[in-house]
Amino acid sequence: MFEFLFKYPASVFTKGTFVLLGQWPVWVLAVLAVGSAGLFGWIIYKRRTSVLPVFRGWRSVAIWGLQSALAALLLLLLWQPAISIASLKSQQNVVAVILDDSKSMAIREGDATRSAQALRVLDGGLLKGLQEKFQVRLYRVGDSLQRVEKIDTLTANAPATRLGDGLKQVMAEAASLPIGAVVLLSDGAENAGGIDLETISEIKRRRIPVHTVGFGREKFDRDIEVTDVVLPARALADSRLSAQVTLRQNGYSGKQARLTVKDGGKVLASRPVQLKGDGQQTEAIVFPAGLAGARVLQVSVDPLEGEENGANNAVTRLVNVEPRKPRILYVEGEPRWEFKFIRRAAEEDRTLEMVSMVRTTQNKIYRQGIGNPKELEQGFPATAEDLFQYDAIILGSVEAGYLTPSQQELVRDFVDRRGGGLLALGGRFALGDGSYAKTPVADVLPVVLPQSKSTFQRDQVPVVLTGPGRDSLLCRLLEDPAKNMERWTKMPKLANYQDAGTAKPGAVVLMEALVGTRHLPLLVTQNYGRGRAAVFATGGSWRWQMQQDVSDKTHEIFWQQLLRWLANETPGRMVSSTPKQVLADETRVPLRAEVRDKKYNPVTDARVEARIVGPGGVAASVELKPDPLNSGVYLGEWTADKTGSYLVEFVAKRGEEDLGHDVLTLRREDGVAENFHAEQNRDLLEKLASETGGKYWKPADVKKMSEEVSYSEAGITVRETKDLWDAPAFFLLALLLRSSEWLLRRKWGAV
Amino acid sequence: MEWVGLVWAGTAIAYAILGTFRGHVVPMRFRNVIASVVVGLAIWSALFAFQRRMRSFDEEDDPAPMPADAGEKTEFSFARLRYKDAPTAGYRRGNWTIDYPKADRQFLQGVRRLTRIHTRSVEEVVDFEGDQIFDWPWLYAVEVGHWYLDDDDAKKLRDFLQRGGFLMVDDFHGTHEWQVFIAGIKKVFPDRPIVDIPDKDPAFHVLYDLDERFQVPGIQYFYTGRIYEYDGVDPEWKGIYDDKGRLMVAICHNMDLGDAWEHADHPRYPEKFSSLAYRVGINYIIYSMTH
Repeated sequence: MFEFLFKYPASVFTKGTFVLLGQWPVWVLAVLAVGSAGLFGWIIYKRRTSVLPVFRGWRSVAIWGLQSALAALLLLLLWQPAISIASLKSQQNVVAVILDDSKSMAIREGDATRSAQALRVLDGGLLKGLQEKFQVRLYRVGDSLQRVEKIDTLTANAPATRLGDGLKQVMAEAASLPIGAVVLLSDGAENAGGIDLETISEIKRRRIPVHTVGFGREKFDRDIEVTDVVLPARALADSRLSAQVTLRQNGYSGKQARLTVKDGGKVLASRPVQLKGDGQQTEAIVFPAGLAGARVLQVSVDPLEGEENGANNAVTRLVNVEPRKPRILYVEGEPRWEFKFIRRAAEEDRTLEMVSMVRTTQNKIYRQGIGNPKELEQGFPATAEDLFQYDAIILGSVEAGYLTPSQQELVRDFVDRRGGGLLALGGRFALGDGSYAKTPVADVLPVVLPQSKSTFQRDQVPVVLTGPGRDSLLCRLLEDPAKNMERWTKMPKLANYQDAGTAKPGAVVLMEALVGTRHLPLLVTQNYGRGRAAVFATGGSWRWQMQQDVSDKTHEIFWQQLLRWLANETPGRMVSSTPKQVLADETRVPLRAEVRDKKYNPVTDARVEARIVGPGGVAASVELKPDPLNSGVYLGEWTADKTGSYLVEFVAKRGEEDLGHDVLTLRREDGVAENFHAEQNRDLLEKLASETGGKYWKPADVKKMSEEVSYSEAGITVRETKDLWDAPAFFLLALLLRSSEWLLRRKWGAV
Repeated sequence: MEWVGLVWAGTAIAYAILGTFRGHVVPMRFRNVIASVVVGLAIWSALFAFQRRMRSFDEEDDPAPMPADAGEKTEFSFARLRYKDAPTAGYRRGNWTIDYPKADRQFLQGVRRLTRIHTRSVEEVVDFEGDQIFDWPWLYAVEVGHWYLDDDDAKKLRDFLQRGGFLMVDDFHGTHEWQVFIAGIKKVFPDRPIVDIPDKDPAFHVLYDLDERFQVPGIQYFYTGRIYEYDGVDPEWKGIYDDKGRLMVAICHNMDLGDAWEHADHPRYPEKFSSLAYRVGINYIIYSMTH
């Protein structure tokens, strides 16, 4: 329809520029248009007394408007409107035709596989049409890009789809070839997590449009898939872990599935999941980390009846369970019950070590859990070396003035630079009442503290979980989410509460205190710098212990979870990482290490080495190089040639000085990537096309593709102008204006 | 229990409004009688509730003025356990009241002055009714040589201690009173041993180092010059520990710290006894708030 009205396809208008080919200047057109409108207006005004009364007022304005518009349209056509567009010179440009040759293209849909459908499209005229205008280069893409001479060599057997890498390679060839456009025939089932921005930018820079043709159903009729599992790479021995499992399903709404976490053959946790409407949903499953060591965990959902693809129901993740025991420094400004019961909860957690100091009198502190008689002897640590040996800090009811300005800055640096956790509790000397509002500590806190005093109140209040709180592991007393919510409604009231102010942007309010009809933020968390901070605006959670049965462990569970969150992820002086610990049909392993000194300042002159031990006695050593963009960061790359598990030990040295070491586990698995995301990823194909100036095509519509492929600014081009004055749309518009006037006159009784 | 008074007061007001302004199906004569009863009950309930809140009992052993800040909400207060007397006790007001409230208030002055504990100036009397006991994790019981715990009391006290509460018992002397105390505490913990608290225990060092402890006599010292009562010649610093080695019950046998607090301002009562009593009491409080 569009093409009928405007003579050319829409892409001509989006890619081209509008021009007027008339000899006279454009300002003449504007003057004439305005002049004719003025003339019509003057005539109508002069004749206002002699015309029928029915034509006076707004009706005369309507007539004037229609006449002026018609005159303007006719004048515009006299100036010869046209579209100027670049198009590829015939037979002087190359069009790269890329065929997806991955395993997912072998999925049969209807009477043929996706691969066969793609070949049918090419043979059905597309290839011939392209070859008539351009030189065509054929490629196949799977886990890599390869040039092919004939299309019948495709096997649809590549173990992975790396569209981004393939396009990047084509762009590299474009440096020496006049590539005018790319045609990609694929299901879009990309395994690398999408096409990176760098590749997209490179395509846009070269102005090469990528036209995509999508194959395969956009969703299966009946399938459930584990699309992602988010788990921390490290955990502490005996801690509890929460896996965020993303499921995607079609055709099983309202049905129940079973989610399971296994370590080898041993089931660590299993729970039913109620499936919602078609699409994605995220479920949490909590399980014990167990003893120290590398864990290869399989997170799976049991196959459902009639499932079309049963190979996408399980994924593997690695977790390194560390024997480390984080140390938490708890500073309390006065003896109080909250201190006692937090200490008792921490003492029951074998994974944590709590060191505390409480001001019993104005000039005395009482220390518990110290490692040696000198520890905290002088009170709160005054140097970075002393303070940064801890993994987390709890500030109880201790006024800001107890800390010197440099100690307050150390607390901020502890979170920002060292990457530790800070928890500020409520109390009569805490938060706003402790005069923290204008200190460096307030920068770290996830709330904007109130300027007023007397924010701490000794009145009993109930607590309520917020939406994020319901999903958070910090507030998970029972594994079943519904039972957990119910459990929280039965918790005893807090002994007291504090108005902690308002949550900062980016902070997450997990729990609120219900004070009359007001909801005050109670438990608020946020990440800050390399660390994290939380406010728990009460000193009265001890009632959860004293007011509940001896066998009840909710107080202990809550505090142990909060303390672990605070301390578990605090990094050491050396931290190693890789983007993916499980390599699904991949071999390339980027390695990254961050090295810090005792004050946790970046070390730029270290020698960092990665020593790799793998299956079948594989042993290698890679020296990491400093990242010029990030101080203290060292990068390297290695290739995992064999499938199986790898252990990578990172060692950092400066001369003879040992700066630290860290251990990372990897696993390479083959033959799994193509089992996932096997439906047509139309979003990706459409986005790729629209970002690069191409178009997404359905297989049935590709007949016109060779025409549209011509409109490109890449390669060797000529500029064409396409006349618009004879487009039917203008004729119809003129007719519409004139007939509207006539119809109005007739309606008003003047015809 | 304050809500009892509030409910009654609300009912009375509502009844009065309904009866006075809107008319009522009840005849005037009966209405006046009912209204009087309701209003009477409301006043009684309000007074009851008020007294419960302030915990002021007329069984005072040694009255002391009520401080102006008695209603302050604080972290800590001296929680005095109100228990039933054993049949052989023979004390009109109840043995739990001995030294009350002067000892409590005078001791609390010391706690305020010598520590950073946010304490109320007056005591809190708690008993085994309801769950109020669980809001006061430090508990003091005097004259436990005359106490009686029934099974319900014993269960509640056991729960209190196992959840993390702390009990200090004081002012009982000699073999007979020890046996009465044992009869009660064995209902609480039939199998848990009562042991001497070692000198190195943190309870004797948490604030003051109390390596040099001696017998603290009661007021009878004025008249007899003896520092012990009955056959309780030797002071015993005993305790009951939980499974993790934390002191739950501090037992001050053959001594009277309560009198030492109560008579700390008495010119004839030696300062050294009061001084030790204050330090022991404060140490037990801080221990209970840190362990």
